[in-house]
Amino acid sequence: MEYIGEHPLPGNLGYLLVIIAFVSALASALGYFLAEKGKSGFEKIGRAGFIIHAVSVFSVVGTLFYIISQHYFEYNYVWSHSSMSMPMRYIFSCFWEGQEGSFLLWMFWHSVIGLVLIKKAKNWEFPVMTIFALVQVVLASMIMGVYLGDLKIGSSPFILIRELPEYLNLPFTQNPNYLSLPNFADGRGLNPLLQNYWMTIHPPTLFLGFALTLIPFAYAIAGLWRKDFTGWAKPALAWTFAGVMVLGTGILMGGAWAYEALSFGGFWAWDPVENSSLVPWLVLVAGAHLLLLVRNRKKAVMAAFIFNLLSFILVLYSTFLTRSGVLGDSSVHAFVDLGLNGQLLVYLFMFLGLALVLFLARMKDIPRSKDDDPLWSREFWMFMGALVLFLSGIQIIFTTSIPVINKVFGTSMAPPVDPISHYNGWQLPFAIIVSVMIAVSQFLKYKDSKIKEVAKKLSLSLVLALVVTGIFSWALSMTHALYNALLAASLFAAFSNLDYFLRVVKGQIKNAGSSLAHIGFALVLAGALVSTGNQKVISQNETYIAEDFPVNEHILLNYKDTLKMGPYQVSWMDQYQEGVNRYYEVAYFKESASGKLEESFRLQPFIQMNKTMGNVAEPSTKHYWNRDVYTHITYAELPEDGKKDPMEEQWGNESELKFTPNKVDSVIYAQSFIILDSLSTRGVSGNANSLSVKAHLKVVNMLGEKSYAEPVYEIENNFVRSIEDSLQSSPSIKFKFENIDANQGIITIKAWEEKRPEDQFIVMKAIVFPYINILWLGCILLFLGTFLAVIQRFRKA
Amino acid sequence: MKTSHILLLVAIAVAVGFVISTLGDASTYVTFPSAEAQMGKKVTVIGELNTNKPIDYQAKKNQLSFFVVDSLKNEREVLYGGPKPQDFERSEKITLTGYAKDSVFIAEKILMKCPSKYNDQNTVEASSRLNY
Repeated sequence: MEYIGEHPLPGNLGYLLVIIAFVSALASALGYFLAEKGKSGFEKIGRAGFIIHAVSVFSVVGTLFYIISQHYFEYNYVWSHSSMSMPMRYIFSCFWEGQEGSFLLWMFWHSVIGLVLIKKAKNWEFPVMTIFALVQVVLASMIMGVYLGDLKIGSSPFILIRELPEYLNLPFTQNPNYLSLPNFADGRGLNPLLQNYWMTIHPPTLFLGFALTLIPFAYAIAGLWRKDFTGWAKPALAWTFAGVMVLGTGILMGGAWAYEALSFGGFWAWDPVENSSLVPWLVLVAGAHLLLLVRNRKKAVMAAFIFNLLSFILVLYSTFLTRSGVLGDSSVHAFVDLGLNGQLLVYLFMFLGLALVLFLARMKDIPRSKDDDPLWSREFWMFMGALVLFLSGIQIIFTTSIPVINKVFGTSMAPPVDPISHYNGWQLPFAIIVSVMIAVSQFLKYKDSKIKEVAKKLSLSLVLALVVTGIFSWALSMTHALYNALLAASLFAAFSNLDYFLRVVKGQIKNAGSSLAHIGFALVLAGALVSTGNQKVISQNETYIAEDFPVNEHILLNYKDTLKMGPYQVSWMDQYQEGVNRYYEVAYFKESASGKLEESFRLQPFIQMNKTMGNVAEPSTKHYWNRDVYTHITYAELPEDGKKDPMEEQWGNESELKFTPNKVDSVIYAQSFIILDSLSTRGVSGNANSLSVKAHLKVVNMLGEKSYAEPVYEIENNFVRSIEDSLQSSPSIKFKFENIDANQGIITIKAWEEKRPEDQFIVMKAIVFPYINILWLGCILLFLGTFLAVIQRFRKA
Repeated sequence: MKTSHILLLVAIAVAVGFVISTLGDASTYVTFPSAEAQMGKKVTVIGELNTNKPIDYQAKKNQLSFFVVDSLKNEREVLYGGPKPQDFERSEKITLTGYAKDSVFIAEKILMKCPSKYNDQNTVEASSRLNY
């Protein structure tokens, strides 16, 4: 059957290209494998295979971009992730919003890195590229979307909606003109929450980071394979630090995104998805530092293999955790299960098995140092630091894996109810130890150093750190002992590395990499601690504490009313709408010396109204050099479909007043007594089937002022009609005679109060994060430092 | 004994510490009656939202009240200090972290298992297209 208006060509091309990519990667892996085994000529197959593979991957990427940009909504991926109204600058975000696209992004980076390695890896090319090609075989199969009997292999981004298994044999799939149906005219679009520049830069950075962890893995396998247990460290070193840089940047970007644009209320929440990218990074940092020991001193060879192999395995494990739906009960980042669970697990065990078998087979040959490193040698401290980082990663992944442990052992453990204190309980001590090690080891020499000299060099930094900690601790009244210890330790690390940079490196920028990176890392720790550990919810509600409720961290603001909130007086000034966003302008005032209120700043937190995905509150933050005032709306009345905008609605607070004449003839409404004085009945002239009942209502307000209303209820030939009546006085109330229940003798009258603008309100949360700029400064220095170090290492390599 | 052996022992000790602390901090998934047997203790309950009973948000209190049926069909009223999460009614399963107090359950955190936020073509959208 011919379908009208379909564009099957790019889809078929896409399928074909994925299969070519799969086959060529397989050929490349085999070619390189045989070449490494010494079969001459096969390296040509390896190289050609990988180049064909890379070109196919780039073409698949191009094809997917093409169908998204052409709005071919017959494709499920296009329909699910894009729409006509979406600005073209978000095309990248659409591309990797779905899982198939993110696998493709990952493959794209592997292809790019693979091409570079073919050029640059020289005598390590064959074994390293064998691993690269093998991984690409696996990833290509994840987006193949073919069935072997009932077994689904991969999920294709090129599947048509009518081919989806859940629509099999439905009438529309038999309709040649189904694309003219209204549902296919436009796609569902990109989740508006993801329509921002972060979504454009965060995923590619993170996936490049993931892709880079494959390099130390591949080199480690190559080292084991060739029984060259130390030679792989030198070529792998620069790449591994590049991974540290890119993956670290990606993770921190995620934190900055959460802080700037999402109402999670902070930078880091120990969410399982955040954890599962942090852990490979921690292990990668440990592995990278051990590579330095292997290269410089031929030490810690065994641990260097374990860490560098594990980092990539942990990336695969994170992919499994976040993509398989196993975290469904414990994470806010829920991904839908594409039915690829089994496949992901098979691959995870395949690479774990490969690494493990090879490692165990070679273990007895791996060189071990016979004598212990002296206590005051750089290698001892670096090794200890790496070990602590590794342990810290293992602790995080262990707790994050509770759902997996439940699945495997059939237990029903729930993740810790207070994850922050659980993780902090372990991670604070680890961070303290690591900070001290960063502070000390720069000044230690390889082999051995004179402790007295080192202590002398370090004493200035230590004193400075203690003084600054004292100042912060006093200014922010920090009482937690561990917090103070971590602040002191991280500042010690920062000052000591600054000292090293000035006195030893003598301020030469090209050699500044490691010092700057260490300062950055220490400042990230210090900044996170000072800002998050001392955050203060200033919207703590003092005027209204709900019954039966622990604490209320939200403030209720009436329109134009001014309330005290922490050190400020706040006032909700205005609301306005731009597109789907509804902004709430809130002014902050401070009392000046003369006692007058002066406006300090205004914030515009907003709510993104989103029919398909639900409404989302987005924060607005005032940045000062020494603190941030972070706010977001937790409640505001929003216009509903088919109803008037609440801003324009005249009447509100609808209520049904029930009277039983002679028993209950007065009720309280709108802070007034509503009294049913009497009912008067009369027929409508000339019609025996009609009746008109008038209620004589007396309203007594708080001041004792009386006013009257007379709503009418008419029955005429079985038709019912109500004549509303409203009060002109204050409060203005509208009455409608709703019903007479003759059997019970109950009279129902509906009442509305006139809405005054000042009755509208919003509920808001506000948090002050002190000195959060230390954190951002740390992020920038960490990036710059690792960048310089990578450049320098590539130059030397 | 070599330093490396001592290090190994310390590392193993720390790792054992992880297991113990995780088991200690890990809460268990419980039902409402067992939450009530330990009033005020933080627990995790998994259940289903009863959509036939009122889901009421009182903005002035910033309090959401709703009814949840746990795995053993016990139903309780739940109070939560926040507005109604998006797609609340669509949730298949709700994970509540909180504690029992008198006759209600106070939820400090709610997590819904939904058709995914990022990628849900399978449930709600699907049913609207099935008519063709």
